[in-house]
Amino acid sequence: MSDQAIEIIEGGVQSTVQDYPGRLGRLADGVSQAGPMDHFAFRVANALVGNPAGAAGLEVTLGGLRARFGADTVIALCGTPMPATLNGEPLPLWESVAVAAGDELRLRMSKGPGFRAYLAFAGGVDVPEIFGSRATHTLAGLGGLEGRALKKGDRLALAAGATGGAGGGGGRRFDAAPAYAGDWDVEVMIGPQADPDFLTAADVELLCSRPWKVDANSNRVGLRLEPFQLAWARSGGGIAGGHPSNILDDGYPPGGINMNGDTAVILGPDGPTSGGFVVVATVVHAAIWKLGQIRPGTDRIRFVPVTLERAVELDRALDAQIGAVAS
Amino acid sequence: MTASGHDSPIAALREASDGGPKVTFRHAGDQFLLVEYGEMDFDLELNFRVLTVDGILHDRGLDGLVDTGPGFRSNLIRYDPARLAPARLIAELNDIEDAVPAGSELSLPSRVIHLPIAFDDARSREAVERYARAVRGDAPNVADGTNIDYMVAYNGLPDREALYDEVLSTDWWNAFTGFFPGLPFMYPLDPRYALFAPKYNPTRTWTAEGAVGLGGPCVAIYPVESPGGYQLFGRTVPIYDLAGSNAAFRPDPILIKPGDRVRFHRVEEAELDQAFADVRADRYDYRIDEDPFDVEQWLEHCEEVRPEADERRRRREAAAEEVPVP
Repeated sequence: MSDQAIEIIEGGVQSTVQDYPGRLGRLADGVSQAGPMDHFAFRVANALVGNPAGAAGLEVTLGGLRARFGADTVIALCGTPMPATLNGEPLPLWESVAVAAGDELRLRMSKGPGFRAYLAFAGGVDVPEIFGSRATHTLAGLGGLEGRALKKGDRLALAAGATGGAGGGGGRRFDAAPAYAGDWDVEVMIGPQADPDFLTAADVELLCSRPWKVDANSNRVGLRLEPFQLAWARSGGGIAGGHPSNILDDGYPPGGINMNGDTAVILGPDGPTSGGFVVVATVVHAAIWKLGQIRPGTDRIRFVPVTLERAVELDRALDAQIGAVAS
Repeated sequence: MTASGHDSPIAALREASDGGPKVTFRHAGDQFLLVEYGEMDFDLELNFRVLTVDGILHDRGLDGLVDTGPGFRSNLIRYDPARLAPARLIAELNDIEDAVPAGSELSLPSRVIHLPIAFDDARSREAVERYARAVRGDAPNVADGTNIDYMVAYNGLPDREALYDEVLSTDWWNAFTGFFPGLPFMYPLDPRYALFAPKYNPTRTWTAEGAVGLGGPCVAIYPVESPGGYQLFGRTVPIYDLAGSNAAFRPDPILIKPGDRVRFHRVEEAELDQAFADVRADRYDYRIDEDPFDVEQWLEHCEEVRPEADERRRRREAAAEEVPVP
């Protein structure tokens, strides 16, 4: 495959190379996971073009990407309904499509619902692996293309054997696309730092009682929620600081609802690996994809507490849906 | 179930046993277990235990163990629930606890990494100057274009040289790495030199690569140019190099690992700049000594210097009362 398989004409709002699950195994070195913020749409897109789960594709935030293909391949676009055209003709979402050398893909701005779309190419984007992953972490300048979002003039290669692969000639559809809306039920497990030692039972009830607006100042590092006041089960942070949200530094799980004083931030895939604030609840893996589709500034989140057993069950159901596409 | 009706985040609790601290196992979603050691005390012995157990856990090669991220007194363990049930992981960790000797008998694999430091360097001054100009003009932690006099006052020290002496007089233990790839959070192994400084408020938008700063009780080295909140006092050579331009980074782009000690030696800034250039040109040899860390010896030393350490702590605390927080 030529190293000019895809030419970027416009990079869009923020388009990055990502892979799933991202950069694991380096938590002790402070390396964030990165990877697609909506892993479900990303994985479906890969499955539609016949790629293995770990193949790299693009995460397109909001839209604005224009690209020209330098070779024949098969693509699939999944995620927010982004008005997409191939040579000016509408491109269906959640469906694999054969493209030819010289074709031009254009993704206009999504008006929602949803916020990100994922573009998979047969074979996957071929950029160097850094710490075992091709995922872009812009904050650390790691992975993807030079550790940054794509821009005009960039050229991406596809992995060898990209054409005529398992994706075949296109036309494979995914019929179970999730319904996006402005209000999101997001399944969480309470903790690691919740009631009774850090929060009161009433705090946990408050957290799950009503929808929270997601602040416009949200991104892959974290989703900031509208302010609310917790009562806290303790008066201060002891030796770790004056506020009860302070602790001696712990590792942070992606999807953790991190209380910085009285500001709640849901940690995204590019968030820090550790810090000195409590995590009062954690979005479960089967729901963490929703964080990638929530529109900052308008959408609202309601947290739904689930048990570990339920979380694992939900995740298996997602895996089964993706497995059905791949088989 | 808890009073609010959901499952308790505390999956299991192990009471303190001879020589072993209490261990609290907390669910952090369906793929992570946060394992906390002891109480929330500022006690390096807890960190020695975290790193010891972490090493053994990795050696055992448990199927379904994905990743671990040590914190000061905790370990965030990522697992694949399809292959490793959390109850099985907790059983394994309990088994390791049974096997690990009392805290005082631990010996940890560790390295002493010798790094040159130039105090009050021009690049740190540039960072402070940019901050004072563009972010906050009236910050109490900025005087004469540096944060150094603020740290001197906050710690009740007579002058800048006394601050530099403290930094040079102890090894700095990397308890954990975080915030940015390869950024070590280091604590003094000699309790006499336990410096303290409040962080920037608000944070700084730019810091030079290799800058060395103090935030709370912790010294950090900035692996790359980045924002930051620690009070800057000097600069050292690169500690992170993805390109592997120097031999020291070819086995791993991250130099300082949890459980390593950093020992600073003082150089003039011109010499540091030369060393920086030599690192890039692969002409610089990092001096790194394999040197297991013996906790019993460390405890004996802490006991010997306790009166002096206590006296210094009282002086610091009294001085800090008089100094405004940013």
